[in-house]
Amino acid sequence: MSAVTVDPGTSGAGGSGVEVAAGGVDRRRLVSTIGVPAGAVLASLLVGAVLIALEGSNPLAVYAEVFRGVFVENRGLRNTAIGATPLVLMGCGLAIAYRSSLYTIGAEGQYVIGAVAATAWATAGGVRDLPSPLLIVGCLVIAAIAGSAWSCISAALNTRFGTNIVISSLLLTYVGIAIMQWAIRVGIRDPESFIPASRMIGDAALPIVPGLNTHLGFVIALIVVPVLSVVMSRTRFGYRADVLGHNPNALGANEVRESRVMFGVLGLVGALAGIAGYIQVAGVTQRINAEFSVGYGYTAILVALLGRMNLVGVLLAGLGLSGLTIGLDVAERTYDLPSSLTGLLQALIIIFVVLADAIAGRIELRRP
Amino acid sequence: MDAVLSIDTLAAGLRLALPVALAALGALLCERSGVLNLGLEGLMLCGALAGYLVTDSTGSPWVGLFAGLVIGGLCGALLGGAVVYLAANQVVAGLAFSLIAVSATTYVYEGSYDIGQSPPRIERISMPPLVILTLVVLGIVVVLLRSTLSGLVLTATGESPVAVDALGYSVQRTRFFTTIGGSALAGLGGAVLVCGPLGLFIQNVTAGRGWVALALVVFAGWKPVPCVVGAFLFGVCDAAQLRIQGTDTGVPYEVFLALPYVVTLVAMVVRGRRSRTPATLGVAFHRSTA
Repeated sequence: MSAVTVDPGTSGAGGSGVEVAAGGVDRRRLVSTIGVPAGAVLASLLVGAVLIALEGSNPLAVYAEVFRGVFVENRGLRNTAIGATPLVLMGCGLAIAYRSSLYTIGAEGQYVIGAVAATAWATAGGVRDLPSPLLIVGCLVIAAIAGSAWSCISAALNTRFGTNIVISSLLLTYVGIAIMQWAIRVGIRDPESFIPASRMIGDAALPIVPGLNTHLGFVIALIVVPVLSVVMSRTRFGYRADVLGHNPNALGANEVRESRVMFGVLGLVGALAGIAGYIQVAGVTQRINAEFSVGYGYTAILVALLGRMNLVGVLLAGLGLSGLTIGLDVAERTYDLPSSLTGLLQALIIIFVVLADAIAGRIELRRP
Repeated sequence: MDAVLSIDTLAAGLRLALPVALAALGALLCERSGVLNLGLEGLMLCGALAGYLVTDSTGSPWVGLFAGLVIGGLCGALLGGAVVYLAANQVVAGLAFSLIAVSATTYVYEGSYDIGQSPPRIERISMPPLVILTLVVLGIVVVLLRSTLSGLVLTATGESPVAVDALGYSVQRTRFFTTIGGSALAGLGGAVLVCGPLGLFIQNVTAGRGWVALALVVFAGWKPVPCVVGAFLFGVCDAAQLRIQGTDTGVPYEVFLALPYVVTLVAMVVRGRRSRTPATLGVAFHRSTA
């Protein structure tokens, strides 16, 4: 670890909220786990209310419409679940990475690379005619490998040259998006399309789950959360990932190579992001076009932070933010509000989370 | 290919390099004092919007530049307050700020102009004064760091805050004001982008230039002059990329789209190995934990 890698052991004076999921439940910890995000959401809704009032609408009516848009409106819940799928998948990876003090922000790039790789394979001649389940499994594997490889570039650069992961992962995102643009213009372009777009994903599309009425991807996200929770709390890998965030020297002292844990964690982030990318194609857009990258990879960072880097928290935060987006979308149309309001509310939530965290850390520090 | 590697491209490269150079100098100041300012991208974006709105309403791009500087400084005070006095995690706080800035600037921008109405192009400043401005800022940063007591205290704060504290200087105050100053430069950089080469604001207009500036600081080994040279290198790639999109070269233009970022990444890798990182970069200072 050289160059600008932040020394994880000492940064933030305990104010970062990066806590190992401990066995026992401390009441104070409970307040900071649930109180901080809940308070942050409430505070930003309050500020949001002021902004809505300034726009000339009644905030209560707007929030009621948000609620109606999610819970009453036809397909509101279904859209919430579908919108939450990429956020939860990527948020889980990022939460684990941030717990390990590996601040990667390149999920958007890995998401795009995963989607392109899976789509390229599934639409290739010869492969296209395979049976659907085989295609889906193949796509999931390929997307995971591609996303993982893309993410591991950051790990390799850091291990070998001490390059800062935050910056390298973000720069790689721009490269990834350029690759996607080439792919849909030339590489895997649908010859029948007038604008740059990939072929339709065809039989690799995800089926709708009966009863839930959402695509299979949401179920995958729901399975990933408990599986990863067990991995993090019960396996050697999970333990080492947490130790890396708290005291990397302890790994060295036990002859565990830090770089190996780093590759594992960043590889996992990339695999989940790649899978999220494929799921988005196969469940929602059906093909990749120029508008494919809409920033789920960045919102997922917010989801990881809001979920307190806890996987169940990530699930709740992902569903919550997705619901807010869906509901506000409806309310914005009804009350003619600016569409950037959703982004602003999300931004406010994150401000309050960071501030509350810092203040909580400060109080902790004063306590003898 | 000849048309791409012409004097024109170099000039355009210089134009595009100036905002990045200013932001990189701002980031360099912060990092020398021990603060890793990942809010740089957001600060540039805020400065860009302030520069655009103020220029549009006053008609003078110079006032716009000043607005960018002030807004950058104000946001820097917020960010500095959080990471220095509240000891918020610098990575998380900076990252959060950059994410916030994208939504906040879009919100303000959309609120300022009716949807559908095309926003006016603002009056632009020609290149020579902006080059001089950047060189003046570079000169100030070099002199500050090399020949003044404040500069020495600033660097010492990044290397050994305990020593600085023992000598009776305030680590917190030094870092706080450095963050304000560095952020103001990033804001100025954003304003220069909008009031100089572009003449208009669009959503997320900075397109990762703040991150590039952060990478350049590593590339430059935390030294001001190489920072500006690196920015020029990025600018030329950026300009070449814009030019190549219009010509037929046989190489897919997406290669050139990615080129500025790849070059930055490679530059950071190649030079970063040998560079000397400020010892306490990213680490909050508190007497009880020092």
